[in-house]
Order: sequence, then structure tokens, then C-alpha cells
Amino acid sequence: MSTVIRNKADLDKIRQSARDAEAAFTGRTVYVCAGGGCLASGSMKVAEAINKHIDAAGLAGTRVRLVHTGCMGPCVRGPLVVIDDAFYEHVCPEDAVEIVQRHLIGGELVDRLLPKRSDGWPITKRSEIPFFAKQTRIVLRNCGGIDPLSLTDYIRVDGYQALAKALLEMNPEQVVEEMKISGLRGRGGAGFPTWMKWNFTRNAPGEVKYVVCNGDEGDPGAFMDRSVLEGDPHSLIEGMAIAAYVIGAKQGYVYVRAEYPLAVERLRRAIEQAREAGLLGEKILGTDFSFDLEIRMGSGAFVCGEETALMTSIEGKRGEPRPRPPFPAIKGLWGKPTLLNNVETYANVPFIILNGGGEYAKYGTEKSKGTKVFALAGNINNAGLVEVPVGMPLGDLIYDVGGGIPGGKPFKAAQLGGPSGGCVPKEYLDTPLDYESLQELGAIMGSGGVIVMDEDNCMVDVARFFLEFVQDESCGKCVPCRVGTKRMLEILTRICEGKGQEGDIEKLEELGRQIKDTSLCGLGQTAPNPVLSTIRHFRHEYEEHIREKKCTPGICPALVDSPCRSACPANVDIPGYLALVGEGRIAEALRLHRERNPFAAVCARVCFHSCETKCRHAALDGTAVAIRGVKRFMADQEIVIQLPEIRENPENAKRKIAIIGAGPAGLSCGYFLARLGYKPVVFEAEERPGGMLVQAIPAYRLPREILAREVRMIERMGVEIRTGMKLGRDFTLQQLRDEGYEAVFLGVGAPQGAKMGIPGENAEGVVDAMEFNKIYNLRGSVPVGRRVVVVGGGNSAVDAARTALRLGAESVTIVYRRTRDAMPAYEEEIEEAENEGVKLEMLVMPEEVLVESGKVVGLRCRRMALAGFDRTGRRRPEAVGESFVMEADQVIVAIGQTLNLDEILGSVELRRKWRNFIDANPVTGQTSVEWIFAGGDAVTGPASVVAAVGAGERAAVGIDYYLTGAFHAFWREDKPVEVPFDPAQPPSKEPRAKLPTIPVERRIHSFEEVEHCWEAPVAVRQARRCLRCEYGKRK
Amino acid sequence: MATATDVITVTINGRAFDAEPGMTILQAARAAGVEVPTLCYLEGVQCIGACRVCVVEVEGARNLVASCSTPVAPGMKIHTHSKRVREARRTVVELLLSEHDGDCATCARSEDCELQALARQMGIKTNRYEGERTKKLVDFSTPALVRDSGKCIKCRRCVSVCDELQGVGALFPQGRGFDTVIGPAFARALDTTPCAQCGQCAAVCPVGAITEQSHIDRVWDAIDDPNLYVVVQTAPAIRAALGECFGCEPGTLVTGKMTAALRRLGFDAVFDTNFTADLTIIEEGTELLTRLKKALVEKEPVALPMFTSCSPGWIKFCEHYHPDFLPNLSTCKSPQQMFGALAKTYYAKKIGRKPEEIFCVSIMPCTAKKFECQRPEMHDSGVQDVDAVLTTRELGDMIKAAGLDFMSLPDEEMDAPMGLSSGAADIFANTGGVMEAALRTVYEIVTGRELPMENLHVTPVMGLKGIKEAALSFENVKPEWSFLEGVTAKVAVAHTLGNADRLIRKIRSGEAQYHFVEVMTCPGGCIGGGGQPRFCTDEVRKARIAAIYKEDEGKPIRKSHENPAIKQIYEEFLGTPLGEVSHHLLHTSYTPRPKILS
Repeated sequence: MSTVIRNKADLDKIRQSARDAEAAFTGRTVYVCAGGGCLASGSMKVAEAINKHIDAAGLAGTRVRLVHTGCMGPCVRGPLVVIDDAFYEHVCPEDAVEIVQRHLIGGELVDRLLPKRSDGWPITKRSEIPFFAKQTRIVLRNCGGIDPLSLTDYIRVDGYQALAKALLEMNPEQVVEEMKISGLRGRGGAGFPTWMKWNFTRNAPGEVKYVVCNGDEGDPGAFMDRSVLEGDPHSLIEGMAIAAYVIGAKQGYVYVRAEYPLAVERLRRAIEQAREAGLLGEKILGTDFSFDLEIRMGSGAFVCGEETALMTSIEGKRGEPRPRPPFPAIKGLWGKPTLLNNVETYANVPFIILNGGGEYAKYGTEKSKGTKVFALAGNINNAGLVEVPVGMPLGDLIYDVGGGIPGGKPFKAAQLGGPSGGCVPKEYLDTPLDYESLQELGAIMGSGGVIVMDEDNCMVDVARFFLEFVQDESCGKCVPCRVGTKRMLEILTRICEGKGQEGDIEKLEELGRQIKDTSLCGLGQTAPNPVLSTIRHFRHEYEEHIREKKCTPGICPALVDSPCRSACPANVDIPGYLALVGEGRIAEALRLHRERNPFAAVCARVCFHSCETKCRHAALDGTAVAIRGVKRFMADQEIVIQLPEIRENPENAKRKIAIIGAGPAGLSCGYFLARLGYKPVVFEAEERPGGMLVQAIPAYRLPREILAREVRMIERMGVEIRTGMKLGRDFTLQQLRDEGYEAVFLGVGAPQGAKMGIPGENAEGVVDAMEFNKIYNLRGSVPVGRRVVVVGGGNSAVDAARTALRLGAESVTIVYRRTRDAMPAYEEEIEEAENEGVKLEMLVMPEEVLVESGKVVGLRCRRMALAGFDRTGRRRPEAVGESFVMEADQVIVAIGQTLNLDEILGSVELRRKWRNFIDANPVTGQTSVEWIFAGGDAVTGPASVVAAVGAGERAAVGIDYYLTGAFHAFWREDKPVEVPFDPAQPPSKEPRAKLPTIPVERRIHSFEEVEHCWEAPVAVRQARRCLRCEYGKRK
Repeated sequence: MATATDVITVTINGRAFDAEPGMTILQAARAAGVEVPTLCYLEGVQCIGACRVCVVEVEGARNLVASCSTPVAPGMKIHTHSKRVREARRTVVELLLSEHDGDCATCARSEDCELQALARQMGIKTNRYEGERTKKLVDFSTPALVRDSGKCIKCRRCVSVCDELQGVGALFPQGRGFDTVIGPAFARALDTTPCAQCGQCAAVCPVGAITEQSHIDRVWDAIDDPNLYVVVQTAPAIRAALGECFGCEPGTLVTGKMTAALRRLGFDAVFDTNFTADLTIIEEGTELLTRLKKALVEKEPVALPMFTSCSPGWIKFCEHYHPDFLPNLSTCKSPQQMFGALAKTYYAKKIGRKPEEIFCVSIMPCTAKKFECQRPEMHDSGVQDVDAVLTTRELGDMIKAAGLDFMSLPDEEMDAPMGLSSGAADIFANTGGVMEAALRTVYEIVTGRELPMENLHVTPVMGLKGIKEAALSFENVKPEWSFLEGVTAKVAVAHTLGNADRLIRKIRSGEAQYHFVEVMTCPGGCIGGGGQPRFCTDEVRKARIAAIYKEDEGKPIRKSHENPAIKQIYEEFLGTPLGEVSHHLLHTSYTPRPKILS
């Protein structure tokens, strides 16, 4: 377009002719995304291929045209192609022929390239794609819809109309007023009201003033400005020209980082076009207003996003901040009053001026109006660029727009605002994304970078990463930022290397506070934020690194020899025994397992295998090594149990140690004490040892003789078990003390079931799942109804349901108030329950137990729907619709477990914590009373068997240290596993195998073990799938 | 908008004070008698704001603010020593200590280190933030200065003086984060830059990161060598500043005690650079008149204005930056070098020694003199004319090392003949002083009358203004100078190289025209030299300047041409000004130098 636009009439004429041309075009348009992300994934090759096939089919010209657009948004799904309303993802050049033949010629959609619903059905309309459905695109209004290199295209969609309106119909005060009504706040991060900044600069004395645009987007994971510059550069030019008109500037500068060559190139072309058309330069649109723009390229210094540093850089000096005041509005570029906003802020302006501030203010919250562009990155399905109304809850952004987390892994935290921001953990998924709410959480809106993290992210490592970035990017001018962040980085590095010390967390907090308080510019003043916010929300992870030298997410190399092992609460040498099984050296493998966990056979059946969720093999073919399956094989090969290494010690043998509770925690504590030569006594309230293993877990999952063998092993090592001895009933802690017991371990679990708190709960036929399971497991019979309803979603619920089914219930239904994927029970257990005929009623909440003549006759329930996010990071169920009645003659309640401490402690006072569980040191198990130790569910609340085993081991070491003043835990020293391994060999291509199960019809009338073991060759092949992550990492 | 006459009321630590608009919190606090510690703050340059030691708490502000850069505002409530401030400040100093190579016992700045003083003030006894230290790179490449990056705390005072004051910009920050270093481009050695070696960086460095190359050891060695006859000359600026090394107020004159101390240190003869300052006036005055005659009478092309050449930093700056002005520089050597050449010829002959048996030491307020003395052209006696240069600070250290109780030494006189001088020579120490001394002599030569100014002072060229100008008309001149009748001589005086640069640009563009221009490298002239006792502010400079004028006014002879020793040396040795011997021993030439050196 080479026409010069001399006045509004010219502009309107061009718009009209462009609209006419558009309307006259009766053919189809193929939009190919030419945003940075799609270019990187090869969209130009796709465009070329499509063009070729269009030509070949003779469609070119009036029938089909192909347009390159700016960023469409879901970058991770690129290259993207839009035809009509179809949104094609991951398009390859090879797909071109099908797109042309089927869609353009045949008029049919190419289903396989369309986005899919969760049920796999293709989504045929762009507006129905969840990614777009919840977005409101103002800044990105043209991105992906027009050709960024065509001024005519921009004018067609009302481009430069806002400038014309401002220049011809409004005085600068009116423009400011409109901006004020819009409520727009600076989108660069600080959120200062835009109209106010404009007004300051407008009122500052001085003939020469400048308008500057900050396009120095440098946050890791942020690409909002880039996409606007690449996808709709004229909107920035128009916004800046309006600002220049308001403040009285004749010259503007756009500061863009040189790492954005495409953005620079497109902006340069757009400025040239605007200049040629007379939309930049002298006497714009026939008025007295003159304005021109220049691009200044930065060299990738994060600090140049800081306004004073940015201006220093434009002036040609080293980009370093200078003290404020004076503020740029008074004394900015070359000492002149300067207005500085970022790309996104300016890109909003044309919309606001053209449609009125009120239209913009319709979106957003009370204090934060309009929309915000976010760049979604990290562990999120729809990584890309989105624009949503300010105030959208974080959870909606991540799950609805962002499509959730790959692999359905739990959300852990989102880092908002890049290195200056902070993380928001799952407890706050319901937080609205606005300036105030985020600040309260120690995060910031920032420029809109959102990095999503799942449970595989180590928060200490995340903090270290951001601090490393900040330290690299600090200009080095002021002491707190230059030296302070270095010292923080050093402390974090040593924590990650397992060299953290007590007091390090406090030191980080103090340094962080001081750096924030004393730094020269915003970079330093916010640099500690990622550290402070991760400490605030994930302090336990820091403590784990420092005290336990452990990184559960499996990230910190010095603390992790293999991610599976890091994830194991008992720290079992998993790659070690897998390697040994792979060589057929079963006895050695078992011995290695029992170095850290006596319950090899038990855990082979009931372990929740967090190791498998961390297995790196999943990155290879999507499936983890079947670690529990290999363990099952290994345990099943054992004919005679071998005792582990025991170091006899006559001194220790004489000392009296009491263990309360013969569950996994207590028995494990006894096992490890015995290995040090102690002869502890275990007191068990019930008649049979095993705790939850025997009381709660049904025999079809854990045959009793399997458990008994391992309990006997522990007894043979010198651990005495006295059953039928209940603390608080048969003896007291003080009595033990009086009898000369020097230390006591409390492994009493969380045996009481929680109440529902609804009417009718006390009727006959309402039973607690813990009781129900226990009575059956210990006595061999329990009353079972005909129509059984189980309330709850955990393992107890599933166990009770499957038990009831086996005991002859006609129908068993589990009702749970959330969705199935939110059920805490193990997935394989739920699956088997369904296989066996248990019905699942999800999103149902009991309201009342219906009672007739004192007996249960039904359960009145209400349908629920998922609403906002609760503190557990899950969608909160909320009642919807009418209530309904489920007939039932038995209701089994499995909604949680508690511990009644008062009943057992007697006169001894122990410090308690959350929900009345015992407060104990996570490393030593020591409680507030020095001779009393605790671990397992009694400390953590209901958790897993293997967590209890780990807690027992730590307490054993803690007790030994308490008694002797030294550490003797010889099993903690890793021994090299001598198994030949050639890392140069490609990994095994063997697929993951499932454990065989017995047929359903054989299960439902018996308690025969459901799962069986593999044949040896299968097990060996499965074991050999291990990638040996630990290889070469041990000394 | 407040006008300049408005007064702003602020509250500092709970008490109300009046402050002037535009004042910083630091200035207001100091005016109110409240001391706020600073480290990077430097009077006279743009606020740096790097060290954060001067942070204070302002009620209502989210963060602490740097008092050096934050202007006062009406009603501001400031706390300079609250717990929050004290803790933050302490952390900042602790962080500095943690990166600093703090081996105090072996540091040249051990007792006048500002960081050490702050640490002591804040009661810092342990280092809570130990970690990696700044990489140690020691740059000995220049004759005048040593830079030790391990000690550098990146306060940027040196960057500011080098850039803003001197217009050289040899030092600046490079790298980022903890790896930031201050130094020449691409971390090269200082001798690859057009550094003037003025030592202003060393004068403002709060720690031992930039110091002079010490000549103390070689001076002791010479004194201890029985075969060497060690003569010492003392520059005029020393006597007004040396006392500060011993706790005197700035501006205390210690000429006599200094002489006594030098004798007790073991120098064989104690002389005065003032002697050759007087000689410079004769030679340079004659040169100026000769150039004027050539220009006005013989109409020969001759370089005017003529520039003084006493200040070696200025000479080097001119060689690097304005080589087209080298012909304008007076060919006279600086007084230091004239002295060296004469000590090893004229004086050596007098005492029957060979030049190589004389060891010539100068005490200078200047680090560039260490560069100057080793210039290859400064060997006119056949050997290096000046062997060692001590700064005022180094002399102070030597006196302390010798255990002399300086303040109780008697006042002694310098030795004849090279210890005799006029008041005109004294004022060489001050900006405008060389000009005034020259005018005293030139005017009298031309007119036969004394300079018609009160107390012989050329008031317009006195004081700390950056560029000063004066005009002087010659009337009723002696017959041999008739070509100057009615001529108004226009002169200019600049101190600091930044001002010199500005002046040269004006001259080059034709915007300004002069006959004679004095340039001194350092602010205030030699009294503010890079080798003077720290810490130099304008107040200190003014006190030293006043002391020098006092010394001048107290002298019986106040014009160079009236110095009998000068008359004597022309009679006995030199012959006539600009004569054969003078040409050989007292004059020199200059060489253009590139801006970037390999």
C-alpha cells in the first residue's frame, strides 16, 4: 500500500476498500501461524507445502489464499493452521495434501489434526476449544487473525481509527480521562495506573518529551511482548502515537531486545509502512501533531527492563539503573520528561480509545480492570499465549485455559512474574489473578509469565535457578544485589548439594529481606522473591534437603542417585535390586531391599510405589519400570527368610526400649534397633501384630502368612512383641519409665475413623470402615448388608467395598463427593473394585442417613459439581440440583482417620500439631519429650506403609543417637552394586507388563490373593528395563 | 513548584529541621548535625547510589532509601539510625567485607581504609556471609598506579572521577553480577588506556584497590647506599598538606618541620621544587614573549595560545586526546624535571660528584610525576634525571616508619642554593597560581612596573571555578617591548582535565581566543593532587589554597625574577633564558599518543 493518508477521509476510504475487497473475496483463507513458536516448529515449511498443493490443485487466486498471521496462542501445538472454523494442530508438511484435498476440495474436516476432547472426540469449532473459550482477547485482538505485515489489513480491522479519534475529536485531557475510566494499569509488572503516569509526564515542564516503549522482555518463559510485536506491530505504533499526542512528544523509541529478530524486523517494517502512509511523521492525519518512532535494540540484559537502565541504554551507555527520584516522568531520556510503558500496555490503548474506557473496564475486578496476557510455560498442556480477564482464578487459567498438567500429575506451584515474582502453591489455586491478591501471596502479576510446576519440581532447585539467573543478570552496581544475591545463591547451592546447615533458611530469609530493603532498583528489590516465597510455601522441602539430605522430587544431583530412590520414603536402593534381579541374583536383591525396608514381601503387594511415578523410563515410552512387580517376583522367590546383618552389642542389649504399636512404623523401628544389638519390646493393643497391615488391608491384597513371615523375621532378630497390651488401658508411659525403659517409640497410627457429621449417623447399620475392616480381618466375620453404600474415596473405602462384596452384599456403591481422578485410593485398586462389580457414584455428597425404627434404610445425597479450588489444590465440590435417595441397609463411612491422643498419653504432655497428631522431628522422630519418639500415621496422619517404614528407621537411628550420642546406622552407607552395565547400549525396548490377576468370578466369593506373580523371564526382562540412573554416581 | 527561597521542614530522628529544596536527605542530615555513613558518595560528581551504606528509613516509603540520592520533601519523616536502618547497613557492610580481599595487615590503606572504619563503627566482629571473593588481579602496568581488583568494592568513585572530572574514562564497570569488575576495557591493563595517571582514582578510593606505585623502598635503599648522594626536592603543594598525615587541620603549613624531617630521614641535601618553579617562570615567560613577538612582529606562524606544561597528567592527556595542540604546549619541562636535570649537572658539579652518584628524589602531590620521571626524554643529565618520586602520603608513611615525632620537630630552612625560592613559586600549587606567577614576571619585564594588582594577586584566576579567564592590558611598555603596547593579553585557567578538554574545544572552534592558558590536571591544582592525603573535599582544597597564598604573602621575595639564586644560576651556569644550556636541560618536546594502545 503506497497511498498517503492525509486525513481521516483517506483512512476511512482505505478501510472501506479493504472491507469491500474482503467481502468480495469469495474464496477460502488458509491462516498459517507465523508466530515465533510456530516458526520454530516449522510453520513456514507447512505453508510452503500447502501453497504447493493449492497451486497444484489450481485453487490459487480467487478460490483460496494463504495468510501468514501472528501468534495464535497454543504455541506448544504448532505449527497451527486455521481454515474456516477448523483449528489444525501439529501440522506437518506431509499433511498439506490431505488438508487441501479433503478440507479445501472435499469440504470435510481432517479429524486427526483437530484438537480432541477428553473423550477423544475431535473439536470442530474453534470457539469450542477450551483454550479459546475462556479467553478475552483485547491486546491479542488481531494476533493470529491478520497479516502483521499488512497495514491495509490493520486498517481494515479499524486500525488507526483510535488515533484519528484522539487527534480529531478529543483533546489530551479527554484521552487521559478515557484512560482513567478504563482503569488500565501498567502491564510491565508494577501495575501503576497508566493514566496517572501519562498525566505526570504531560504536566512535567519541558519542551522536549519522549515516549518510550519497553519491549525488553527478559523473564524466563515470558513472550507476551514478543508476540504482540510479531503479530500486531501496528497496534503498538498506534498506542504510542496516542500517548505522544497526550504528553506532547514528537519522538518515541521502542526498546526491543536483539534476541527478538523477528519482532524487530516486523516492527521495523510496520514503522516504515506507517511512515510512508503518513501515520508517522509530520502533521499526522492533517493535524498539527507530528510524531516519529525509532527502534533501539538491547543486548539481552534483563536489567534493561528496569526503566532507568533502559533509558541509560538508549542513551548509548552501559545499561545500568540510576537512583530514582528523579522519575522518568520528570527527568528521563537525556534528562527530558519521558513516558515509559511496555508493549502490552500500549497495545491496549487503541481499543480503549476507540471503544471507550468503560468497555475495557467491563472486564476485570474492582481494582484491576481489563485483561492480561499470560505466557503459559512449564508443565502445562497448552503452553502458549493467552489473554484472560484480570481476576480469573489461577486454577482456571491452568486447568481450563491451560489444559492442566501433562500426565495428569498433581499441580505443585506456579511461578508468576518470573525471577522477580514468587510461586503460588496448590493451596491458592483459587486466588484471583490480580495485582493485590498475588502480592498478598508474595508473588506478583509481573509481565505475565506463568511457569507451571508439578510434583517433579524441586522448589529449592527452582529458587536456585531463579537466583542464578538474577545473579547473572545483576548489573553489579549496588552491593545488596551484587554480593547479597551471590551469597544467597551460594547458600542455596550448598543446600542443593547436600551441604546445607542449620540456620541456612533463616540466613536466606534475613539476607532476602535486607536485599529487598536496600537494593538500588527493582531487580534487586525483587530478586529474593523466588527464594522467600518458596521458603514460605515449601519450607519443609528446604528442611528435608538440609536435615535429611534428601530431595524427594529427585532433582538435586548431589542428593539424588536415582529419582525412584529419592521418591521412596524408606530410601530403598531400587536401581540396585532391580539390577540384581535382572541378573537373577534374587537373594542379594532381597538382602539389599531389607537394608532399608524389612517388609519386602508386604510392600511388594501394598506399596503405593511413589518410585514409579518418578521413574525416568516414562520419558522414554510413557511407562515407568514396573518396580513393584519386580519386587513381587523377588519376594515370591524367597523360601527361607535370611536375617539381615545384625551387630550384636551387649551394652545395647541391656538397655530397655519400648515400642508402642506393632504396625509398620513400630516393627520397622524394632527391626533397625535390633540390627544395632538392642532388644526392644513392642506393645500391641490387638491380639495380632501388624497394625493396619493386618487390621485394615484385606487378605486378598495381603495374604496373612506373607505378613506373618516378615513379622516372625523381626521377632527372630530379638524383638519381643507383647500383644493385647493397650497403652492407656493396660499400662501408661510413666509406668514404662518407672520400669526402666530409657526410650519409647510411639507408632500408634491413626486408628479412629472420622465422623460425617450428618443426621442419622448413629443409626444401626452405619459403621466405620476402619471398624468394619478390622472386625472382619481379626475375627473372620462381620455383619454385612444387602445394599451397601460406602462413603469416601480412599483405600479404606475401596477395601471395605470389596470386602463387603466378597461377604455377599448384593450391591456395593462407593459415593464420593469429588471426581474419580481425585480419589486418593490407588488407581489399580479402584480398577479392580470396578472389575469386581463395585459401583462408583462420583460427585455425590451424603446429606442425611435415612432411618426407620433405628435402622438404616437409605442415604439422602446431593449431586455435586466441581467449582473453585480448595486448599488441597483440587476442585471444590459444590452442591447443585436436587437431593436424591439411595436405598441402603448398610452405610460404611470411610472419610478419614484420626488419633485420640488423650486416651493414650495419660499424664505425659506431648507437643501436638495439625489435627491433633504428634509433633516430632522429621529426621530423628524425637518429640517434645526427649525420651519419647514417634513416627508413622500418628505423626503424619494417614499415609503409606512405606512412609511408616521410613519413619521407623529414622526413629531407630534417632533413639540410638539419643542413647549413645553417636550414629551407628551402618545400613545407610551405600555399597556399590557390582552388576555389569554398559551405558552405551540402547535401553531395552520391552514394554511394561502388568501383574496377572485371578478371574473376577473366582474373587468375589473368596479372599484369595487377587494379584499373582510373573514368571521368571518376564520379571527379568521387566527388571532390565531399568535405565540405571544411579550408574556412575556412587563412589 | 517550590521556589528556591522556600524552606522545607523535615523531621530527622524525631526532631524538626529546616532544609533547602533540592537538598538530598544526606545533605539535610549533615546540615542538621546528623552524620550518616557513606561509602560511594563523592562530592562534586553525579550521585552514584551504588553502595547503599547511606540508606535511611523514610516513613511511608516501602523500602529504605539512599540518603545520598533522595531529595528531601516537605514533612518527610526520616530515621537515620533506627534498628531497621542499622541492621540493613550492617548487612551491606558485611556483604562488602565478604567479597573484599581484607588482608588488612598487609594493606597500604590499613589505617585510613573507609571500609575498615565502617566495619569497626558497626561493631562487625565476625563474617556471617563468607563466600567466594572477588577475583584478585593486580595491575602493575603503569609507572604511577597499582590496581588490585581483589580489594575493589566497586563503589565507582574512581569511575566517576575518571569520567566526569577528567574526561578520560579509563575505568568503568564490566561484566555482570558478582563478576562485575571495574577496570579498563576488556579487562586489559591500565597502560593500554589513555590514562593520564593523575591518581585522582587513588585519591578517592575508599579501600586499597588503587594506590600509587610505592617508591619508598627504593628511596630507603638509596639513603642506605653510602656511594649515593641523595638530594630531595619538595613540591610547593606538600607543605600545605603533609601536616594532615599527622592529624593537623587541612591548610596547616609545615614547611620547616618537613625540612627537618627530611634531614632526619637521611637525605643529604633538602631542596625545593620552588627553585625550579621560579626558573620555569623565567623560561616560560620568555618563551611566551618570544612567541608573541613572532606572532605580532615577525608575523610568523606560531602556536598560540601557549599552554603551561608543569602538570604531567595534562601533558599526557594532551598527547592522547589533542595532539594537534602539542605545538601550543610550552617546551619548558616541569619544575620537577628541571630540578632533576640541574641537580645532576649544575649541583653535581658544585659538589664534585658525577651525575650517576646523585640520587634525586622528589616529594610530589602527584602520581603522574612517577610517570613523568621515567619518560625516556627525561635523561638530559646523561642518566635518569629524577630517580624516585614520593607522594605526600608516602613521605608521611616514611616519617612514621622512621619513628619521628613530626609535630615536635623544629622548623628548619632548606639548603642553598636550590632551596631558595620566591612566593611566586609557592603558588604553583594552586589552580591559577602558575598564571599569576607568570604574569607577575612578564608584566614587570614588559612594563618595568610591578603587576598593578592588590597584593600581586590576579583575583579572576583564583578559586575553584572550573574555567577562569582574565585580561591584562600592557600600557607604557618598555621600548624593547613596544609591539605589546596597548595589547590586551587574554589568559585562561582550567583545572581538571574535563575542564581542559572543554576549553580546548572552545579554542579549537574559535569560540574563545587566548594568549596563554594554564592547565592543572587535578581539582584545585596540585594542592588537590592524586598523591595528597585523603580525603579531599572542596573545603579541604580551599584551606590548602589559602595556606599556599599565605606562604606566598609571607615571603620577602614574591616574584620569580627577583630570586637571587635564579640570577646566580643564569650567571654561573645557564647563561640566558632559552639559551643553549637551557635548551638542552630545561626544555623538551612532546609526542602524539594514540587513544587506544596495544
